[in-house]
Amino acid sequence: MLIINCPYCGPRDQSEFSNGGEAHVKRPDGSKEIGDREWGEYVFIRANPKGLFYERWVHTHGCRKWFNCVRDTSTDEILVTYKLDEKKPNLNNFKSVVKTPSGEPEVGSGNFTVEK
Amino acid sequence: MKSINLKENQFIQFHQKISFKFDGVKYFGYKGDTIASALLRNNINLVGRSFKYHRPRGIYTCGIEEPNALVQIISEYSEPNTRATIKKIYEGMEIESQNRWPSLENDFGSINNLFSPIFTAGFYYKTFMGPHKKFWKNLYEPLIRRAAGLGKPPKDFKGISNHIHHNVDVTIIGGGLNGLLAAKSFINSNYDVLLIDFEEQLGGIINNSNKISLIDNKEPKDWLKETIQEIEDSKNIKILKNTLVTTYNYINHLIAIEDRFVGSKPIEGKVNSTLHKIRTGHTILCNGHIERFLSFQNNDLPGIMLSSSFEKYMCRYGLAPSKEPVIFSNNSNSNSLVYSLIKAGLKPKAYIDSRSGEEIEPNLFDLIRKNDVPLYTNSQIKGAFGNKKIEKILVEDSSGALNEIKCDCLCLSGGINPDVHLFTQSKGLLDWDEKDLTYKPSKPFQPTITLGSASGQFNFDNLNSDVNEKLKTFKVKKLDVKLELNTNTKYNIEKLWEVSPQKKSLWAKSFIDLQNDVTTKDIRQAITEGFDRIEHLKRYTTNSMGTDQGKISSINALGIVSDLLDKKVNEVGTTIYRPPYAPLSFSAIAGRNCYEFYDPERKSPIHSWHLKNGAIFEDVGQWKRPWYFQINKDESMHDAVQRESKNVRENAGILDGSTLGKIEIKGEDALEFMNLIYTNSFTKMKQGSARYALMLGEDGMVKDDGIICKISDQHFIATTTTGGAATVLGCMEEYAQTEWPNLKVFMNSITEQYATFNISGPKTREIMKKAFPNINFSNEEFPFMTFQFHEFNGTPLRILRASFTGELGYEIYIPSNSAPKIWDNIQSVGKEFGLAPYGTEAMHLLRAEKGYIIVGQDTDGSITPIDLGLSWMIGKSKKDFLGKRSLTRSDTIREDRKQLVGIIPSNKADKLEEGQHIILDKEIKSPVPMLGHITSCYHSSTLGHDFALAVIKNGHSMIGTKAYASTSSMSTTGVDIVKPVFYDEDNKRLVS
Repeated sequence: MLIINCPYCGPRDQSEFSNGGEAHVKRPDGSKEIGDREWGEYVFIRANPKGLFYERWVHTHGCRKWFNCVRDTSTDEILVTYKLDEKKPNLNNFKSVVKTPSGEPEVGSGNFTVEK
Repeated sequence: MKSINLKENQFIQFHQKISFKFDGVKYFGYKGDTIASALLRNNINLVGRSFKYHRPRGIYTCGIEEPNALVQIISEYSEPNTRATIKKIYEGMEIESQNRWPSLENDFGSINNLFSPIFTAGFYYKTFMGPHKKFWKNLYEPLIRRAAGLGKPPKDFKGISNHIHHNVDVTIIGGGLNGLLAAKSFINSNYDVLLIDFEEQLGGIINNSNKISLIDNKEPKDWLKETIQEIEDSKNIKILKNTLVTTYNYINHLIAIEDRFVGSKPIEGKVNSTLHKIRTGHTILCNGHIERFLSFQNNDLPGIMLSSSFEKYMCRYGLAPSKEPVIFSNNSNSNSLVYSLIKAGLKPKAYIDSRSGEEIEPNLFDLIRKNDVPLYTNSQIKGAFGNKKIEKILVEDSSGALNEIKCDCLCLSGGINPDVHLFTQSKGLLDWDEKDLTYKPSKPFQPTITLGSASGQFNFDNLNSDVNEKLKTFKVKKLDVKLELNTNTKYNIEKLWEVSPQKKSLWAKSFIDLQNDVTTKDIRQAITEGFDRIEHLKRYTTNSMGTDQGKISSINALGIVSDLLDKKVNEVGTTIYRPPYAPLSFSAIAGRNCYEFYDPERKSPIHSWHLKNGAIFEDVGQWKRPWYFQINKDESMHDAVQRESKNVRENAGILDGSTLGKIEIKGEDALEFMNLIYTNSFTKMKQGSARYALMLGEDGMVKDDGIICKISDQHFIATTTTGGAATVLGCMEEYAQTEWPNLKVFMNSITEQYATFNISGPKTREIMKKAFPNINFSNEEFPFMTFQFHEFNGTPLRILRASFTGELGYEIYIPSNSAPKIWDNIQSVGKEFGLAPYGTEAMHLLRAEKGYIIVGQDTDGSITPIDLGLSWMIGKSKKDFLGKRSLTRSDTIREDRKQLVGIIPSNKADKLEEGQHIILDKEIKSPVPMLGHITSCYHSSTLGHDFALAVIKNGHSMIGTKAYASTSSMSTTGVDIVKPVFYDEDNKRLVS
């Protein structure tokens, strides 16, 4: 289980939080004409990278505040959490230190082919 | 096998006899004994039958790695598969052997051994997975289940466990030599330290062997006593004994289970285990190593055990399982057993080493020569033989000649492995050490430090520098401990995984997994059949899939596979080690979250009244809601629901609606916010009026509904469905914070602060007048869909004129504490008007007659307001609201969408069933094109027949036509498709 640093309450157990999917997805302005594609992408399409990812979380069983974070989806490491009104950090500032990103052993996962 | 008690042992109290029963026979052991050591003391070595072939099995090890000696503890709620090698005995303990019938000595299932040549890897898949699946279900599976397996599941679940959370800087796992040294470094430092050991006594290898002769020029046990005292005195270190770390999660989150009744019978009703959930900054793994066995013919016979286990029985339990064991080794780890035996005045019957004379340590050589122990170098054991116990072995010596040696015990050592389970659970990487022939931890994934043999340091020479180097990130004392050893210092091993049998025979078995009865032949067969990847091979042969997870054998299997494939072991890889390290009971995981604490029950303030008045409850989310009220025990649910609904139509009924979600919305921009959240427009709505509103998801589908009361443009109260309250509030919060942070608006749940009574029926006005004489309930003063604030005997009330039944109705909102009093008052004044309580089922029937939907029953997340025929609820002039743009997506404006309609049977006497399909043809001939399905279905005594709501393709334009509904008896019923309203279409009753 992760420890998540709520920008309002400090580090807390993951069980207090809920995940809200990709962050910085702008809701199209309803007062203007919105094209099918633009709206469809907002409603249905989200990025799903292996690696660094802007993500939203909410401190459900705490202050009920939403905030953003950068999480490495391959290692589960949460690199930074920040308030909604804060600027989004540049991903180039973070380097994944782990060689095998999902943490599977270089040897011994049994997932690679044994050549005959 | 004749055992002998060694006197003088600090752990066993020889003056304290303990009696216990094994398979109904009474035996004696001593205080401190495990089941295994007590059985060995009584010269019992046959303790169970094997999983598949029912072969006789004995005690193989002296610890948690035990594959064979699993027993059922009858005196502890019949706990199965308990390791005899770790469970301590107590007075009156009752133990049974497992997987045998009628008795352990004469087991009927051992006939399997005769047929064993056909029971090889993949036997079940190949034989029983044929086309006749019925045979499998009715014949094979029950037979196999009877014949194979381990213990019997307990009938009663009584274990009680509690959970404790720890938050520390450093956790040291393992209180052996290295664990103690690490803990010693942390004494009186600024770190919070947790030291965890699985045993009752700290010390590990110091207690379990005679490897170490002096520590800091002191006797090891004196040094141990002093060191433990120092650690115990240190305020920053907490020691958890009898605690096994089973799981190593991300981020440094450990799960450990503590046995609270070691060596005594668990007291009923008392907590018998504690689950420790530990969050730590750093984890220091000092959990040592595990000895592995060797494969040769009949290497499973009772009387064969690991050599370090034999030594542990001597040092830890004051017991030599045999007076003259034969030792067979390929490495230097068994040297100390020879030393221990001779020190105890015993002598090995023979010492057999696969290594050559030059490789064997000189001090071992001297010891063997001096004591005239027959020595076989460059030799291997070809097989062990005997009836239910080892009687003789066959040794091939360096010249290739065969020697038969009679013996009653054989000690095996195939080398040692660092106990890498926890390290790999933490996702650390392993690397194969070609010299020591084992996988060793190489790269940690988390803040994990490994020390001692757990890190693959099998020699003691770098002890201080290793600990000091690895702990240098901490501000702690440097260690300087001097060790002197009794035997060798350098670990040395020669590659040997398996000795092939002397005679080729279909019945010759060299086991590679003792618990699951996997032989080396199965491994060969699996590779021949193409299962040559280690994860496939594991599953095909079931190698290392037992409860011991192949602790003493899985590395051997990798070695054999790498030889067969002619690959390096690193290329073969290991299977993934998964938690838990050793089985832990569900009761420990559940802790106190079971029975009534499994999921909280929410009860309305009127709950006790419901209990007294015959309510039968229904679970709605966590809420307990009265489903219907039984006026006497014989009344069926159908009768009760018909009676209740009829009473509402004719007189008046009262429903406890306190469980409805209630959300209060306040703020300067509350009006704008509400306009964005709900489909309806609230701008022109008068203060003091209410409106039925829909909430959509961004995909345009109906997510929730409720009634919105507008107190002012800055203050609203919304009701939600009972199950949707938390989601709706969460959704409001999300949008208020993330999309429209500029809006000044706040919201909070007031569900539990207010009770809600829904009173409806033609006589409601009379009842209300009498209950609240100070309020004017006339149609002019109090019209439909308005609400008023009042006070009654000091209790503030909000009364809303609304109805979910189609009758004249009021909803009364009362602070929860005052609710029971007012409920009682209404009951007593309502009596003369025939007021009766009704439950959720009658409410569902009444609302369905009126065509009112229930979100989640008549909708399923794919239904838009247009599909429901509720286009009038969409504020079309509004620029934006949740999901607005989606209502004009190509998919939502499609003509053949499923739409809500009413269904009545063409022949009024016919029955309809909820969930059945609506189809066009009378005959069911596959494929049957499906129009839709029935979402709600009831019998109405008001209408005198069944009726239903359904969602069907293009439903709105099909109103007035005929179709068929399928039935559970695979026939069809003719139905009429009608408007989804069956009662009082003009709302006359509602607004009068």
